[in-house]
Amino acid sequence: MPRIGTILGGLFCLAAITASAAHTQARLILSADTARPGDTVLAGVDLKMEPGWHTYWKNPGEAGMATKIEWQLPPGVTAGEIQWPLPEKLPPAEVTTYGYDDEVVLLVPLKLAADLKPGPLDLKAKVSWLECKEACIPGSGSVEATLNIGDQIKASADAALIESWQGKVPKSAENWSTRAGWEKPASGDTRPIIIAGSYVGAMAGEWSDKFDFFPDANDNFEIQAAIEKVSDTNSLFCFRKIVKKYSGDWPKEISGVIVAGTGNSRIGFEVKLTVSDQAPAGETVLLGSNTGETPVPLLQPLWRMLLYAFIGGLILNIMPCVLPVIALKILSFVGESRSDPRHVRKLGLVYALGVLVSFAALAAIVIGVKAAGHRAGWGMQFSSPVFVVCLTTLVTLVALNLFGVFEVTLGGRALDAAGGLASKHGAAGAFFNGVLATALATPCTAPFLSIALGFAFAQKALVILLMFLAVGVGLATPYVVLSWNPAWLKFLPKPGAWMEKFKIAMGFPMLATAVWLFNLAAGSYGKSVLWLGIFLVLIAFAAWIFGEFVQRGRTRKGVALAIVLILVIGGYAFALENQLNWRTPITASDATGLLKESPDGIAWQRWSPEAVAKARGEGRPVIVDFTADWCLTCQVNKKTSIEISSVRAKLKSMNAVALLGDYTHFPENITAELNRFSRAGVPLVMVYPKNSDANPIVLPEILTPGIVLEALDRAAR
Amino acid sequence: MTLASAALATEIGKPAPDFTATDINGKTVKLSDYKGKIVVLESYNSDCPFCNNHYKTGAMQELEKDMAAKGVVWLIVNSVNPNNASHRTPDQAKQEIADKKIVATAWIDDSSGAVGHLYDMKTTPDMYVIDKNGVLVYAGAIDNKPDPQHDPRTARNYVREAVDALMAGKPVAVSQTKPYGCSVKYAN
Repeated sequence: MPRIGTILGGLFCLAAITASAAHTQARLILSADTARPGDTVLAGVDLKMEPGWHTYWKNPGEAGMATKIEWQLPPGVTAGEIQWPLPEKLPPAEVTTYGYDDEVVLLVPLKLAADLKPGPLDLKAKVSWLECKEACIPGSGSVEATLNIGDQIKASADAALIESWQGKVPKSAENWSTRAGWEKPASGDTRPIIIAGSYVGAMAGEWSDKFDFFPDANDNFEIQAAIEKVSDTNSLFCFRKIVKKYSGDWPKEISGVIVAGTGNSRIGFEVKLTVSDQAPAGETVLLGSNTGETPVPLLQPLWRMLLYAFIGGLILNIMPCVLPVIALKILSFVGESRSDPRHVRKLGLVYALGVLVSFAALAAIVIGVKAAGHRAGWGMQFSSPVFVVCLTTLVTLVALNLFGVFEVTLGGRALDAAGGLASKHGAAGAFFNGVLATALATPCTAPFLSIALGFAFAQKALVILLMFLAVGVGLATPYVVLSWNPAWLKFLPKPGAWMEKFKIAMGFPMLATAVWLFNLAAGSYGKSVLWLGIFLVLIAFAAWIFGEFVQRGRTRKGVALAIVLILVIGGYAFALENQLNWRTPITASDATGLLKESPDGIAWQRWSPEAVAKARGEGRPVIVDFTADWCLTCQVNKKTSIEISSVRAKLKSMNAVALLGDYTHFPENITAELNRFSRAGVPLVMVYPKNSDANPIVLPEILTPGIVLEALDRAAR
Repeated sequence: MTLASAALATEIGKPAPDFTATDINGKTVKLSDYKGKIVVLESYNSDCPFCNNHYKTGAMQELEKDMAAKGVVWLIVNSVNPNNASHRTPDQAKQEIADKKIVATAWIDDSSGAVGHLYDMKTTPDMYVIDKNGVLVYAGAIDNKPDPQHDPRTARNYVREAVDALMAGKPVAVSQTKPYGCSVKYAN
């Protein structure tokens, strides 16, 4: 059908017809009047709204309707997706929509086939929209334009207009690093999400601090328009939005446009963000990246987490796990107080090195376990019976050493004759002390430490290493500081004969540690753990012969050494290998055991997510105790603050359900639950309020009866 | 906290917030008085093309009639503010009921927006189904065709589905959808 333009212009066609509804005019414009086969021409649907009227973006928001374009194109012309210029947020606040005031040109690339014949082509589209002011009116109209196919490109009079609108279409997010993460678990069908980002690379000029996120439309959920800025020094922008879910699971990925700036200087860039669900409860923390490859984290500032790790490491020093080692360290300080200050400093640093090397090794294990696709956790080595057996043996030997049964000579050279291994003036002793402190520290966690570790375990390798080293630095710092300022040690008595007695006395807490470890092994080997006991006795016997007849003896040292070897090898082969079968422990068969500690104790039931849901469904408050046999902090909490008469009575009176999650053998489902609350390990004690809407109350690592009772009070309300 | 407050007002599976309002005849309407009956709330503005589409095709009236026959309480909630051209005085509303042959238990004059805000109604039509125990079982779009020009009878009507499921004692399959339509014309 010939159009006026083609008749008049011959080669060029300039005509377009417009369609208008009550308050919006639509017309079709093209970037070129003439184009060659194989070219792509940009078409623009130009919508002009009367003042006060607006039309909508591809995601209209909480109301409205996206403009639609239905093309009627001749063969050989293919329309692409609509490129939507950056819209504006339209009021009112309670029903926010995204749309355009005044005018918008929706751009559509039209691909011309290579075999198109020269001559005019009629391009038509039916455009339908919703126009709103006080009221809404659906509008629609047919628009058309003619494109001439020739042997050159000739820009149209509208090319500049199209180009200017092209500049308003959001760009790809190069140079931007944007992340999204759930801030908290869902509360009903809404859940807060944190979106943050930084500009990587050279910054051209100053960015406005105005940022927003316009989401793509989705039937299953809506990222609401309201926005709250969150302070995050590590990011250029960081804000909170509320996601309302209509159906399905919480989204794992969101997409849309990040909007920067205000007014006419706004720019938009498109993002597709993986939503990480590992953000800790209560803390504004972000995980996830826009690449979707590795969960790159920019949490709260890394320095803050490192500080937490450091403080946690400091506090670890006074946790029950490390106390026996502390005693040794005090002893060594006393012994060293006579020495050359430089030597003392050196030993302090060597101790720190021992701690740091051990923490680096732990970090390497965690990284390795994660790389192998397993979940890692703090203290997880204690779920390995083999590790427990080795550590029991080692700690027993340390105790015997402190008792003076034998000496340890490291590096082939006899160290100072005075004392046992750990009180040695030698560097090797100090280093070993650091290793031992770390090995014994892991079944404990401390305030701050659990937050830091919960963060660390979700990170990439380098950050894990840094975080672990920060804990190590914290653990070692008091000794390094003291060794630098020996004057602070004045309160300690002068060295003397009492030291030998003190050393022997300190053997007993070490022996107690061995008994505790032995008890852990009992969980894995059942009654056969007797053979571990027999092995320990044989080793102790061997240690005595070694000390008495090899180290201090005068004659027949060779025979004595042979007996030692026979005892050690024989004990190992018979007791550990043959009888205990130590490398293949019987797996925990505690799945049906009675959890109640005593007849009047708390009626613990086994924890499962279903058990929690069921109890909450019945409107009952729930206390959950994630614990492990090897977790000393947990055992102390239980004795002092949970399994006590006032808490028992309170639980009974409020008809609460008590659920126990046993983490001794590192079950995956509990690791996952701990991670959900951003913990890398136990203890984790939580109280779910009676009101099933309310979030659980997460109790601190170290409990007092008051803390528990107060949380229960709050839960009962 | 401002972010979350409005969104938390209603939740599927939880008791629907109770309200006391006045209908166009000056009668007091209290949601909890309808305990024991299924209640449908319809966020209404017949000047909105989405809403109007359901009425001009007669599909909404058919649904309302059907619901009434099943003993369902149908409450129209009109939250259009008095300064908006789409506002209806009680007399205009009564006329509109007669003209459009609307079958509803009551037409709530919510020009203050109190009920609309209580339920965080976003659009017209935004639909809510409340079971006999006062628990909210459905919230969202009336059907799966967010378009002001379609035949609603060919669409999947979520309200009808929810009510039918309740009557049959079955769980409501689709309990929440994104509401579509025009924004509710609240007072600013």
